Amino acid sequence: MKTVIAMVRKELIDAMRDKRSVMAGLYYAIGTPLLMCGMFMVLIGQLSSPEDLNINITNSDNAPDLVRFLNNRGINASTDEGVSVKDVKDIELIISDDYAENMAKAKPAEVTLIADNSNEKLQKSIRRVELQLQAYSSEMGSLRLIARGINPAVVQPVKVIVEDQATPDSKGGFILGIAIFTMIYSVFISGMNLAIDTSAGERERNSLALLLSHPISTRQLVLGKIIAVTCFALLGLLLILLVSKFAYTFVPWQELGFSVNISPDFMGLMLFIGIPLAIMAATLQLFVSFMAKSFKEAQSYLTMVLFVPLALSMAASYNIAPDVLEWLPVSGQQQALMAFIKGREIPMLQLLVSSGATLVLSVALALGLEKLLKSEKVVFGL
Amino acid sequence: MNIGKVMLQGTFNKVRKPKLLARQSKLISAIQVGLLSMLSLSVTAEETTSSHAPLSACYVDGLSEQVQCGSLMVAENPAIPDGKQIAIHYAVLPAIKPSFKKQALLAIAGGPGQSAIENAAGFNRVLAKVRQDRDILLIDQRGTGQSSILACDDDNMSALSFNDDDMDYVADTQKCLDKIDADVSQYGSLTALKDFEAVREHLNYDKFHLYGVSYGTRMAQLYMREYPQALATVTLDGVVPMQQSVIAIGSAIDRGYALLFKDCQKNSQCQQQFPTLEQDFQQVDNALAEAAIVTQTRNPQTDEIADFTLTRGKFNGAIRMALYMPNIRALIPHAIHQASIGNYQPILGIYTLTADSTGIAMGMHASVVCGEDIHRLTDDIRQRAKGSYMATTMIEGLEATCSVWNMPQVDSSFSDAIESDIPTLLLSGELDPATPPSWGEMATEKLSNAKHFISKFATHGVAYQSCGNELMADLVTSGSLDNIDGECLEKDVSRSFYLNANTVEVIPTTTEEE
Repeated sequence: MKTVIAMVRKELIDAMRDKRSVMAGLYYAIGTPLLMCGMFMVLIGQLSSPEDLNINITNSDNAPDLVRFLNNRGINASTDEGVSVKDVKDIELIISDDYAENMAKAKPAEVTLIADNSNEKLQKSIRRVELQLQAYSSEMGSLRLIARGINPAVVQPVKVIVEDQATPDSKGGFILGIAIFTMIYSVFISGMNLAIDTSAGERERNSLALLLSHPISTRQLVLGKIIAVTCFALLGLLLILLVSKFAYTFVPWQELGFSVNISPDFMGLMLFIGIPLAIMAATLQLFVSFMAKSFKEAQSYLTMVLFVPLALSMAASYNIAPDVLEWLPVSGQQQALMAFIKGREIPMLQLLVSSGATLVLSVALALGLEKLLKSEKVVFGL
Repeated sequence: MNIGKVMLQGTFNKVRKPKLLARQSKLISAIQVGLLSMLSLSVTAEETTSSHAPLSACYVDGLSEQVQCGSLMVAENPAIPDGKQIAIHYAVLPAIKPSFKKQALLAIAGGPGQSAIENAAGFNRVLAKVRQDRDILLIDQRGTGQSSILACDDDNMSALSFNDDDMDYVADTQKCLDKIDADVSQYGSLTALKDFEAVREHLNYDKFHLYGVSYGTRMAQLYMREYPQALATVTLDGVVPMQQSVIAIGSAIDRGYALLFKDCQKNSQCQQQFPTLEQDFQQVDNALAEAAIVTQTRNPQTDEIADFTLTRGKFNGAIRMALYMPNIRALIPHAIHQASIGNYQPILGIYTLTADSTGIAMGMHASVVCGEDIHRLTDDIRQRAKGSYMATTMIEGLEATCSVWNMPQVDSSFSDAIESDIPTLLLSGELDPATPPSWGEMATEKLSNAKHFISKFATHGVAYQSCGNELMADLVTSGSLDNIDGECLEKDVSRSFYLNANTVEVIPTTTEEE
């Protein structure tokens, strides 16, 4: 055991010496949440409809009551005073010439809404104008019925009551799905450089053979390397959790109608669930790096291999994911975390199976590593 | 409860929700806004967690999202803590992004007698901005909604055919009182205020921001007087000053009528279409004063053949209720004119909206008015009521009710002006037929940190009809009145009058030739 600890110390000291490459892994953990928050801030600003929505209204004199109604709901005509041209959205409302005439005879009076519905920046604004026009129309419809001595309730034969089971937390589920994805990914990214350096790198520096000539077993050497890489992976996870907790509070989520909150409970659970993941990430990366002939080769292989957990995690962040994903490593943990954050019951069985599978895989890879290092071909990179 | 009584007693009244298609729900709120009192059915509280938790997920009428509900047991009579216990129900609309967990905005409903929880959808809309970072708390005041309601509903009455002149208020009130199993003397404002404060402590809020509307402004002012340390800001909308007895509402209603006639007179289209509006009204009103008009018509809802008895009380009551809502107010000139030429359908339509009003708990209403207002009926008020049908019948009805509903009178200090330096925003609607701007002015007498704004176009419930809710959100966010100028209230949001049964726009003269 002492030997293993000594090995871990040696690996960590080694890692600290090459600060640049090691930090490169941790930059991900620090930078990703910040970048994502910046992106969301910009997106939220672009996608939401401004409080005062200015649109072009043609022939507004034909329907002054409608125009004032829209005005009261924050939809202004571009000709109103105080409206600068650059604030006018590219939405046009044309009130037909025979609007008043048709209205007086209770014939449908036409207004035309012209806008590009494929323009994401406008979609919310367009919907808002449509809704308010609908509201105005309905209000007049009701009043026309009242004027005829009919209770407007008669035109609502079915009253639909919706009870939405979403909780305030689950409404932000999509965003949190992405956040969890970045966190799981950080487990894989943070230790990667160290894994390559301590395997393919060590071999290229010719210090691996030297190490093996010491009185330690291959198993101790493998364990030492795995633990060192795991520590780095968990450090990355801890960092991304802390940065996320801090950064996400600055995004104006409330404008989208929900909040995103990284609670201490979630952080604890994430760290706990992250342990088997980090172990698997470490063994997988070491295994692949040792298989490669050189440092550069190890880098390219790892990038490819990492695509697998990445794909699993990504797939699991969508609700449409096939059920089998709940049982697999990475995706199983991701789904359990999402269930937790949405306030649902954590699928314990699935979580246990996927975490178990993760550990089994790690042990298999570790045993494979041990076997690899007994071969001269691998040790000397022949 | 029948209409006659509601109309006579109701300081502020409510309308049955004229529901349309689901997608048209916006309109509905628009229609009711003026009343501040969207009627809704009962709250479906789903107890999902243990009874120990103060809050559990539930749904309230008109909101599809999950909110939090709970209740607190309090003594019906605070002087007998071990006596009968009643449950005070409340609902929390949780903040979207809870940045101020120790604060909440308490919204207080009007009536007296309306349930705050049943009006959750309206409050949610008006308070949307405040809710971005603070919880909205709705408490069903004792005697309303789910909190030990004192209702006096009489479902057997046919709203269309009954004649309110034949009503015996004393007997009806007695019948209601006999049915109620509660100490009605414990349902006044001051006792209810203790419940509010208890709920605040129970839910662990340090500070309340208050939004009181209509009668709710009286509760808010009492809160300022009794527990100022618990308040951060106060918004009073449609103000009933402490110095004012609600009995004086008669003159406010008459003022609402006069403003309507003047508005129509000043508007060239309305003037042209209804040049003799006031005379038309007098003509119908005089005829009804002689005798009720009975016509055979169709039931507005079921389409069954029915007799419609139009009395002076129903006619005036329908118009009064329509005055609360800017969009229905727009239909009144047409309705009056049609009635003057013998077509009672528009009046029937307006009347049916307000007829089977079930949103006000009349027992609680009586407990408040009979304990806090009736004794303030001065000779001056009586004198001024003399010439006014609405004011006189209102006083007669209330006196009859209160002769049965024996309430201990509040102290005379109850009517003192509120003295406070809590930042207070007061909102009045120029067209308000219940709480005119002069009442708002009266409330500011001893408020040293207050601003009073009058919306030229709003009726009762300014925040529902204008940018008043944004002013309130600014006040809650900044905690001060310094940057609130009320300029946005100048925006013309008036509604055009209906010129016939179809349109509010100018009727083109060419239509005749086609």
